Formats: sequence, C-alpha cells, structure tokens
Amino acid sequence: MIQTSGLSKSFHDLHVLKGIDLRIAAQEIVVLLGPSGSGKSTLLRCLNGLEDPSGGSLEVNGIRVDADMPASKKRASFRDIRRDTGMVFQQFNLYPHKTVLGNVIESLLIVKKLPRTEAESIGMRLLERVGLADKRDQYPSRLSGGQQQRVAIARALATEPSVMLFDEPTSALDPELVGEVLAVMRELAGEGMTMAVVTHEMKFARQVANRVLFMDGGIIVEEQAPEAFFQHPQSERARKFLNQLNER
Amino acid sequence: MNLVGDNLFFLLKGAYYTLLITVISMCFGLMIGIVVAVARLKGNRPIRWLARGYVSVIRGTPALVQILVVYYGLVDYGITLGPLTAACAALSVNVGAYLSETFRGAILAIPKGQTEAAYASGMSSWQTLRRIIFPQAARVAIAPIGNTFIGMLKETALVSVITVTELVRSAQLLIAQYFVNMPFYLGIGAMYWVMSTVFSWILGTIEKRLSRAY
Ligand SMILES: Nc1ncnc2c1ncn2[C@@H]1O[C@H](COP(=O)(O)OP(=O)(O)OP(=O)(O)O)[C@@H](O)[C@H]1O
Ligand SMILES: [Mg+2]
Repeated sequence: MIQTSGLSKSFHDLHVLKGIDLRIAAQEIVVLLGPSGSGKSTLLRCLNGLEDPSGGSLEVNGIRVDADMPASKKRASFRDIRRDTGMVFQQFNLYPHKTVLGNVIESLLIVKKLPRTEAESIGMRLLERVGLADKRDQYPSRLSGGQQQRVAIARALATEPSVMLFDEPTSALDPELVGEVLAVMRELAGEGMTMAVVTHEMKFARQVANRVLFMDGGIIVEEQAPEAFFQHPQSERARKFLNQLNER
Repeated sequence: MNLVGDNLFFLLKGAYYTLLITVISMCFGLMIGIVVAVARLKGNRPIRWLARGYVSVIRGTPALVQILVVYYGLVDYGITLGPLTAACAALSVNVGAYLSETFRGAILAIPKGQTEAAYASGMSSWQTLRRIIFPQAARVAIAPIGNTFIGMLKETALVSVITVTELVRSAQLLIAQYFVNMPFYLGIGAMYWVMSTVFSWILGTIEKRLSRAY
C-alpha cells in the first residue's frame, strides 16, 4: 500500500531523512515515534508530496514517484496520490471562511466535481460519523479544538481515501479533548483503514497500532510490534526516548 | 459663494469625471494588482522578475510623470490616446502596482497550513488560490484597498494637467472666466471632502460586514 525505498530529504545542507525504507500494508496501522526533529513529519509529508523528496522513491497505492523524475511528472503523480490519501494536521487547518459542512465537501465539489446536493449528503454522513452533524452550519472558530479536529478528519475522509496520514492529531488539544479525537481514529482503524500516525499517545500506539516505527536522526532505528517495542526496546536511543516519556 | 452656486452644474460635471476616473482606475488596478501579485508569488523566474520591475518602476516614479508619459510620451510612437483614456490608463497602471503589494502581503498573511490542507485534499495550485487563499486574503486586504480608493479619488487631481475636465480643471476654467480664486477652490475642496467621507463610510460598512462573516 505504502512503500518507500532509500527515501531521503534535505533542506539545503540539512539532511532530515537519510534513506527510509518503509512498508505499510493495506489495512495496517503504523505509529511513528521519535524525538522532536527526528523527521517524522517530514517523512509523512513526503508521502503525499507536501515535501519534495530529494532522493529515493516511494509508492502509494500503486502510484510511484521517483525523486529524480521530471518535475511535471512528479507533480502529476503526487496529485494522483493526494486524491487517494487523507491528511490530518496538528493545527487542524480548517478553512475558517467555510462552514463545517463547507469544509468537508470542498474537495468533493472542487476535486471530484460532484453536484452540491450529492456532496452535501456525503458530507452529512461523514459529520454524523464523527458526531458533529448538528454543527454543520457553524464556522470552525466556534468549535472546540477536539471538534475542529474531528471535522478535519471528516474532511480528509470525504474523497474516500485508501490511506490516512495523521501528524500529531492530538498534540494541540487540551488533555480533556484528546479522547474524542482518538475515539474517531480507533473507529477508523476498526473499519480497516490504512493509517500512518505520528503521535505521542502511547496508549493509542499500544492498543491500536500493528507496528511501531521508531525514528531518530532521519533514519528508522527500530521497527517492532507495539508490545515488544514498549517492553523490550532494542536500541539505546529508543530506551532513552521511552524513559523520557515515562518521566513526564 | 454665489459664484459656486451659479456654476454648480459645471462643477458637478467635474466631480462626475473625478469619480468616473477613480472607479475605472480602481477596477483595472484591482485586476492588475491580483495578476501581478500572483505573478510575483507563483511565476517562474522571468515572470517574477518582470513583475518586480514593474512595481519598482511605478513606485519609484511620480504619478504625474507616468501620466505625462502615457498622454504626451506615447504620441512619439504614434499612440495617441484621448485625455480621459490616457488618464484612466496611467492611473490604473499606477494604482495596480500599489494594490499588487497589498494583495501580495494579504496572500502571504494566510497561514501555510491552509495551502497544505487544500493540496493534501487533491486541489491544484490554482484551485487552492481561488477557493481557499483569495477569499481569506480579500478580508485582510479590504481595509488597505479602501485607503487606496480614497487616495485615488484625490490623486485624480493630477490628470487636470492633461486637460481632463475633472474637478480641479473645472475650477481652473471657472477661475479664468471670473478672475476670483478662493470660492472655486474652496468649493471643489468641499466636494472632494464630501466624496471621501461618503466613500469612507461605504467602505467601512463593507469592511464590517466582511469581518462578521466568520
Ligand atoms: N521547511 C523546512 N525547512 C528547513 N528545515 C526544515 C523544514 N521542515 C523541517 N525542517 C527541519 O527538519 C528536521 C525534522 O523536522 P520534522 O518536522 O520532520 O521533525 P519531527 O520528527 O516531526 O519533529 P516534531 O516531533 O517536533 O514534530 C528539523 O530539524 C526541522 O527543523
Ligand atoms: Mg512533526
């Protein structure tokens, strides 16, 4: 479903990803862990082309991108990948000038070019799924952070992606609002969605992930089933990382 | 003051031209401004360079010189424009440069996350600008656009030098006829003030309505 080989990314002379070989199978849920600056966001963003990979190649749902492709071809491939991928951001990034329903159906209207009535009925189904049907006509600024993030998840699901990418979806939330967002993500996982999740929610990682990837310094240091990783981290760096988490 | 009253119709016609030139120049200026702002932000290197050159030249030279170039200068190359056309053309090009800076700033003020969310959902660069960035940038830009509009209203006085009978030239013609200055200058001053005030009020209302939307 997702595969990268030798994927690297540099910002000028800062090498952020140094050869990532990653495989995520269909319906698999992979949690990416690692200290700040280890390249987790950059890796996720390379998968849908928000960052332009500097080297190596990747493939998402059969669409392949080589870092050394001509720019126009690369852009076209990433556009195809994005149509089949949903992304959820730490800061929600809802469109403030559009209502809740407007946010959810935007890509249906503009990318899929569905008629408004059809888009709205799909949008309402999604809002019901995240428990926010009654907020359809509100503007995002009126919602709590947890509600905003649930709208953002509904928006990302609108085009029926086969892969969902989550970049610290609960890190900007007050502690009491984290649960409602994780609940939606659990449900999604239960329905067989393929998910790559960057998070610091260890309980979620333990209970929901099929596999944990531990990143540090731009490489994948360790790759294990969650129980094994949390109980017997193999690298010194992973042990240190987990200790620091426990101290908080 | 009687003199002004007697010639009110003539002066009102001048005010009409002042207003006409302002509105036309603003309309074209807005279009130029958007195109140039996008060219500077999204264009390839030569296009960006061209857009920057345009803004730099217009902002670095007096509007009066630009008006003279368009009306008298172009004649040397066989391009003869009527005074009104030349006035509108010169002022559109002039105000377009200033508005492009306003738009560029407003577009840059929209958080990057907005563009990323739109891209991630499969929207193209142009769809993202049109649907996500422009509507938010318009809200940021509306107040400075209003100021530019009021500024333009007053700047039209410059085109009196190329024989457009807007307010200033109307007054000058009357002065030449009656040999008194003050009443006419005060009269047109009052007319500028009324127009500025009315437009400030209208623009203020629009601004308030826009900021209430979300
Ligand atoms: N656009 C950019 N330009 C320059 N450097 C960047 C850019 N984006 C990320 N970096 C750098 O790349 C490194 C990795 O960043 P990244 O955001 O991928 O880390 P992360 O693992 O997601 O960290 P965090 O847990 O803090 O989110 C950091 O040193 C960061 O400063
Ligand atoms: Mg990050």
